[in-house]
Formats: sequence, structure tokens, C-alpha cells
Amino acid sequence: MRELDDTTKETLKKVAYDESQERSATFLATDWEVIDLHSATQALEILPIKMALEKYAWLKDLMFTLVPKEKDEYVKKVASSDVLLGYFIRVKAGEKVALPVYTCYMINSDLFTQCTHNIIIAEEGSELHLISGCAANTHLLSGRHLGVTEYFIKENATVTSTMIHSWGKEVEVYPRSAAEVGKKAKFVSNYVALGSVKALQMDPIAHIEAGGLGEFYSVVYAPENSKFDIGSTVILEGDGASAEIVSRVVSNGGEVITRGKIIGRHPNGRGAMACNGLLLSNTGYIHAIPELLGEDPRLELSHEASVGMISRDELAYLMASGIEEEKAKSLIIEGFLDLKIPSLPDYLQKQINTIIKETKDFETL
Amino acid sequence: MDRPLLEINDLHVSVAGKEIIKGMDLQVKQGEVHVIFGPNGSGKSTLLNAVMHLPGYTIDRGVIRVKSQNIAEMSTDEIANLGIGISFQHPPKIKGVTLRNFLDAINRSEDLDEAVKALSMDTFLERELNVGFSGGELKRAEVLKLYAQHPDLLLIDEPESGVDFENIAIISKAINKILQKERPMRLRERAAIIITHTGHILNYVQADIGHVFMDGKIVCTGNPQSIMEDIKKAGFSGCSACIKQQKDHA
Repeated sequence: MRELDDTTKETLKKVAYDESQERSATFLATDWEVIDLHSATQALEILPIKMALEKYAWLKDLMFTLVPKEKDEYVKKVASSDVLLGYFIRVKAGEKVALPVYTCYMINSDLFTQCTHNIIIAEEGSELHLISGCAANTHLLSGRHLGVTEYFIKENATVTSTMIHSWGKEVEVYPRSAAEVGKKAKFVSNYVALGSVKALQMDPIAHIEAGGLGEFYSVVYAPENSKFDIGSTVILEGDGASAEIVSRVVSNGGEVITRGKIIGRHPNGRGAMACNGLLLSNTGYIHAIPELLGEDPRLELSHEASVGMISRDELAYLMASGIEEEKAKSLIIEGFLDLKIPSLPDYLQKQINTIIKETKDFETL
Repeated sequence: MDRPLLEINDLHVSVAGKEIIKGMDLQVKQGEVHVIFGPNGSGKSTLLNAVMHLPGYTIDRGVIRVKSQNIAEMSTDEIANLGIGISFQHPPKIKGVTLRNFLDAINRSEDLDEAVKALSMDTFLERELNVGFSGGELKRAEVLKLYAQHPDLLLIDEPESGVDFENIAIISKAINKILQKERPMRLRERAAIIITHTGHILNYVQADIGHVFMDGKIVCTGNPQSIMEDIKKAGFSGCSACIKQQKDHA
């Protein structure tokens, strides 16, 4: 692997790509170049997508099955890209990979449009923890990231995917992802974005088979001049499939649309959604759009949504305990953004919370 | 010992334009424990909230001094940092903020761990502040907060409300410890104002001076036990009758 300069290291740290962290595999790309790729375990295979296509003839037919090429202009752009950048991860059947796989995309050049395509396959009964960072180098004036990610999670397999974004004021981001979650399989998707971005729009989709589980957690802090349109759609495709969508959004002048949609089509499906927003400024907005669609009387679907400012009583209480106003606000915001994900391993939970604490951009308060 | 921690002169306080405190004076010195009795809705809590400059409480007239400093232009945290700790009757639930994080942010005590154990709060440290706490747990958390703050003057609002006997005993023991009750009175550095409408707390925490607060004013000051006995016998209506009798007599 090429030695990284200090600025790059700092940028990567913001998205949890820390070289000192123990891991089972690594993928790191800047602009069009893969600058690090290695695996420390035989339990999984990680390859550049181009090499994987050469190795596995069937892969070509698998690509774009969950995210269709014609979905929108951004996927079309990825599909027609001259350069094929991306990774392929396959966890072998029955293998439980406890240490996370770290992947990271970075935009390093001005006016660069980075197109990526990732394929993740968790074979039957396997387990994978993926931490994906996406960042733009701090000097960058503008850029675009267009990414397609397709997850194939087979029967009884578990995948947790934690995506951490740290872009810049002039970067536009349009990730497109979809997951096929097999029978009794589990997919936990976490999304963390705590800084500026010119525009970020995504709506990952998961199809959950019988007895499967899909959980989507997102934590967003939107400063002034940032635009987020985020959300998740979960389709309960089998008997006893369940889903949870939780989003915590703080707008400090940023414009945020937070969507959530659960579609139930089979008996005994369960779905719950909670979209909570905190507004810190008179500019910007949070638009929470929770949607439920039930097509079977034996479903249990529910949602709650709230958008408001920091509670005056909570702030007064903390200040009456001797905490100065700005610190009290910060404590409340940190607490609001503190993710509690029951199905996440403890070390990952701690790591995500540390990232939130360390990368928060609350100085603009 | 004679140093006044709190001086209130001719205080008038309104809430949402309605006058609640209608002219009161009070002085609390080091080592003193004052108890304020009064019926529900008489404005007792308003007094404590006004001292802390909580939002919504407007001082229309009068002066509050903490350690000789006029607090008129101070913010709530500045007042707290002068050495005042308040235990609320109904503290808010703060989602996401754990008791541990909260205590870390305010702690000035060297033996907080001991207090955590004494108040049986060790299993609550990772819980969200006041979320899902029972009545007794809320009060224990409030007293633990006072312990961490290490204040010179404690403002304690209805410590016994919604609390069972076992919890009152635990809370009182901790309050007595904070108030250095094991020392002779002249060596105690801390003071307290305890608000109560039942007086039950006096069975556990010994007070030095009692006041009856009615209709926005202190109407009677004296021995706290005697005042409580009178209230037990004739209720607060007995206080009204007593005041009328005194006026007629005068």
C-alpha cells in the first residue's frame, strides 16, 4: 500500500478509516485508483470488481439485478462509466467474520466524478460486518460521487453495514443501494453523516424474505447550506419478515428530507419506524415522511415522527446543574444522535458512537 | 457561620404575567436548614425557580443576592456555579444523555462513586437521564446530582413527594451527608431550603428554621417542628386563622 499523506489520513479518520484498527480486510480507493486491498482471512474473498468479473462469469448477470441500470440518471452514469471501480466481497458459507471489513472511497481531485459499483455476497449462515467510509479531501472545491451497491444476503446470514460520510460544501453524492435479505437472514444498515454536503440523495431498498430482518438506522447532522434527502424502503416479502427504520436528524440550517417506507405483503410481518428531527436554527428545515403500506390484515406496522427544537425544560435543567448553555446544547444533541442498535456487536456500537462524538461538526452552533 | 449565602429582599415574581410571589424577604446563612411549608399552588416552587433564573420566571421587583452578588444579570448556569444546587420536584427526561455523561459534565465531588453506591444508582449510570425512572429513582438521581455538584446552598423541592419510606430514608441520609449534619452546627458550611407541603421530610432531615408560605408571601417564621405540629392539627386554614387573629390583635 502506498504511504498516505497526513491530510489524507486525517480525512480518512473522519470516516472511521483508521489504519490502526484491527480488521479482517481492507479496500481503499482514491479517485479511480485502488490504493489498498488486502484480506487477513480465508473466510472471505475481497477483489476489485473488475477482477471479480474476470474470475466469475456469473457475476456479470448478477450486477444491476437489485439496482436496475435504468433506475435513474445516476445509475445510468455508473453503468456506462469507462472505468470500472468497486469491490466484490464474498463471505463463504457458514463463516462468521467477527472483525470488520473496512472500505473507503475518497475523492481527491477537483471536479472529479467518481462512479463505483460494489457487490456484497454473504453466503448461507455467514456473518459480515462492513464499515464503509466515503470522503472528499479537505482541499476539494467540488466533486460528485455516484455509487451502486448490491447486497445478496443468503439464508441465515447476517450483514451489518455502517456507512459514514464526510463530504464537503461543494460535493454532490448519489448512492444507490439495494439488498436481498434471504430467509431468516439479517441486514443492519447504519448511515452516519455529520457534516456539509452540497446535495446528498439516497433511498436504499431492502427486500426481506420470510423470517428475515432489516434494520435501518441513520444519523444526520446538517449544517447550513447542506441538502440531504435520505431514506429507506423496506419490503416485507415473506411470512414473519420484520423491519425497523430509525432516523435521527439535526438541522443547524441544513435542508433535510427524511423518508421511510415499509411495505408489508405477507402475514405476521412487523415493521416499526421512528423519524425524529431536531431544529437548531431558524433557517433550514426537516421534512419527515414516514409511509406504511399494509396488504395483509395480519401485519403490524407502526410509525412515529417528530420535528422540533431543543426542549427549553431540558436546557434549563442542565444549566441549573451548572452546565453552560452551549455545552448543554451539545450534550443534548450528542445524546439525540447517540445510536442504540440492539443487534450490533458492542465494539461496533462503541466505535460508531465514538465517531459521532469525534467527527461532529457542532462548532457552528 | 454567619455568612449569608442567600439574601432575598422585597421579591416579587410573576409567571406568564401573573404575580405569584408578592413581596418576600429571606436570609439563609451557612449551616442553616430552612424548611418552607405551604399548600399546593402557593408559589413555593416559584421561589426556587426564580432564584435559579429559570426561563418563564420574571423578577418584577426586589433583589436576590447569592454570596453577596446580585444575580439580576446572571444566567442560570452562572448562578449554579456560584454554588447553588437545585433538586427539582419533576425533573425532565433527557433522552440520549446517560446519567453517567450528565454526572461527568457536572461533577466536582471527589467521592462520587461512594454516593452512587449509597443511593443505589450504580445500575442506572448507563440509563438515559430520568427516562423510565420511578418516583424514588428520580429523587435519588436528583440528590446524586446535588452530591456531584458539591453546592454550598441546596434548594430541594418536595423531596418526599411520590416516594416510599425506604427511598425517603436513603435520600434523607444522603441529604444529611451533603449538609454535613455529622458536624456541630457552627462548623457546617452548607445550607438548604427545603420545600414541603406534608412536612414528612422533617422526620429524617432536621431543619433549623421553619416558614409558612401562603398566597405569595412568608406569613409565619419559627421553630419548624412547632409549625409542623400546628399544621398537622389545623391544616393551612389554621395558619390563615392564626394570621387573622394576629392582625385583629394588633
